[in-house]
Amino acid sequence: MLDIYIPMLTNIKSITSENKANDIKTFEFVFQKEEDLNSFKYVPGQFSELSIIGKGECPIGIASSPTEEGSVKFTIKKMGTVTSHFHKREAGDVVGIRGPLGNGWPVEDMKGKNIVIIGGGFAFSTLRSLIEYILHEENRKNYGNLTVIYGNRDSGEVLYRSDLEKWEKRDDIKLVLTIDREEKGWNKKVGFVAPIVKEVAPSSENAIAVVCGPPIMIKTTISVLEELKFEDEQILNSLEMRMKCGVGKCGRCNIGNKYVCLDGPVFSLAELKKLPNEY
Amino acid sequence: MIEKLVDKKDIPKLVKELTEKYNFYAPIKVNGNIEFKRVENVGDIELNFFNSKIPPKEILFPRMETLFTYNINGKNIEIKEPEKSEKKNIIFGIRPCDAHSFVLLENFFGFGEFKDKLFLNKRKNTILMGIGCNNPRNTCFCTSLEGHPFKKEDMDVFLVDLDDKYLITPITDIGKEIIDALSWLVDAKKPDLEKAMKLSEKAESLISTTLDIKDSYKILDSQFSNPIWKEISETCIGCGTCSFLCPTCTCFDVIDEEDKYNNKGRRIRIWDTCQSCLYSLHTSGHNPRNGGIERCRNRILHKFSYYPTNYGLIGCVGCGRCIQLCPVNNDLRAIIKKMNEINKKEEKSIIA
Repeated sequence: MLDIYIPMLTNIKSITSENKANDIKTFEFVFQKEEDLNSFKYVPGQFSELSIIGKGECPIGIASSPTEEGSVKFTIKKMGTVTSHFHKREAGDVVGIRGPLGNGWPVEDMKGKNIVIIGGGFAFSTLRSLIEYILHEENRKNYGNLTVIYGNRDSGEVLYRSDLEKWEKRDDIKLVLTIDREEKGWNKKVGFVAPIVKEVAPSSENAIAVVCGPPIMIKTTISVLEELKFEDEQILNSLEMRMKCGVGKCGRCNIGNKYVCLDGPVFSLAELKKLPNEY
Repeated sequence: MIEKLVDKKDIPKLVKELTEKYNFYAPIKVNGNIEFKRVENVGDIELNFFNSKIPPKEILFPRMETLFTYNINGKNIEIKEPEKSEKKNIIFGIRPCDAHSFVLLENFFGFGEFKDKLFLNKRKNTILMGIGCNNPRNTCFCTSLEGHPFKKEDMDVFLVDLDDKYLITPITDIGKEIIDALSWLVDAKKPDLEKAMKLSEKAESLISTTLDIKDSYKILDSQFSNPIWKEISETCIGCGTCSFLCPTCTCFDVIDEEDKYNNKGRRIRIWDTCQSCLYSLHTSGHNPRNGGIERCRNRILHKFSYYPTNYGLIGCVGCGRCIQLCPVNNDLRAIIKKMNEINKKEEKSIIA
């Protein structure tokens, strides 16, 4: 990024509808300028400010992994003005990106550890980035066991189906999928995420748990992790907050003296417990 | 002698010489209010004033500022950076509290990996020629924040109003250059300096508020859940005047303005306030600062706890605008006093 407020221009290369409701789509962007592509060096868990020029900007987590070179992917749910405009775009359209922003998952500190990734619903995009990153042939040896528990309301809401199929075929990842209620044709787990985590009972020994999802899921899952003897330092979350600039200037994403855009969005539970409960 | 004098009747001459070389801003009366504006006619300048309602930060961080403009041509978009003016600015008549706010603003916009070049470029090109406050308002409390009605360190040139003339002291190198160029200024004499000293002492004595704010952040860190915030926010109507007119507030909103029929537009930033419920409202409907209590608390804690923790500076200069202009007479000084009392109570309980 040459100027902190000026977006780099990209073209939409592909758009994939992710769910039955068709309100979640994954967009793949290619940078118009090679220098922008080269400057866009990120780690899983970082985000960007995405622009529809003339309509506005919004912060979205990066869904692709830095190991998937040449383009960058974002999964966008149709929620407000800008995301709705994204859902009207077609392949070839021009959109702006500012980033990468935020701290991202601590992939260096996580080396040598067993990784437990727990996701609920739509909040799976930066987890996809992390899984894809760990599973890359150059990185896989740096991490221990990889357990992924991913829950959804129903089978129609499960994101990244082709990735899940690909991952299921591998023997170096334990993938557990669950939906809230029984459904015809669903032969995987049924139940909320927290009880499934209890059932799978990943060991806290030399482990890091990464938890993303709706607030109630996070709350219940964290109590299960505590039962499994995970310490606060071993549990990571990624926060969402209203943002405008993404670079610590516009003011609004603060929790106490921390800015989610600069100091986050990734915080350990130990860090969160030190912050005022205002998020 | 380094100090110079200018007769009040020669101010137009001084202004005229400086306006040739610089964008010259000075206090001007507009609709009964003092504002710092670009001077078109020397006669518009009003130097018999307390302070402006809108702080001069507006010159470097305007209420509305273009981040970039764009043109759309079919499927292609072209983005253009806003044009930069390299001409230097002089802000004439700025008060010491507002000059100090520029130190805070420069620190904030220049902090960390992401530098706000929009602000920093303008700051680099801006020269402050301030005037000391002979008559501080009763809402002023700069002396509680390491400020002073005659503090000159944050300026390039410092002036003192000696009734019929101004005493001029160049402070920085660039200030010296400007004063040297005005070769017709006469040297000040010892009685002028003595008179200025007396005025400084008198001005200090006129500030009746003395607050101990230096260590407030240490106690505030642990006071997030204190019931005092409810008490403080009870009368607040959330209008945001305190933050819009604060010389140290920097929050902004970002908006795209689209000129659809001409296939162009711009992205702008506009002042925003943490006192608005929309400020922190998520698209999902969730709002981490949903009520007045949370929003009042955020403003106070930002200035007196988060700011000192993050930057080692207190986010207030004691200009008193938020006190003077609050429509329900909420008084920051009373709030600080209340906070300091928490401190004392806690000390007592520790002793007990």
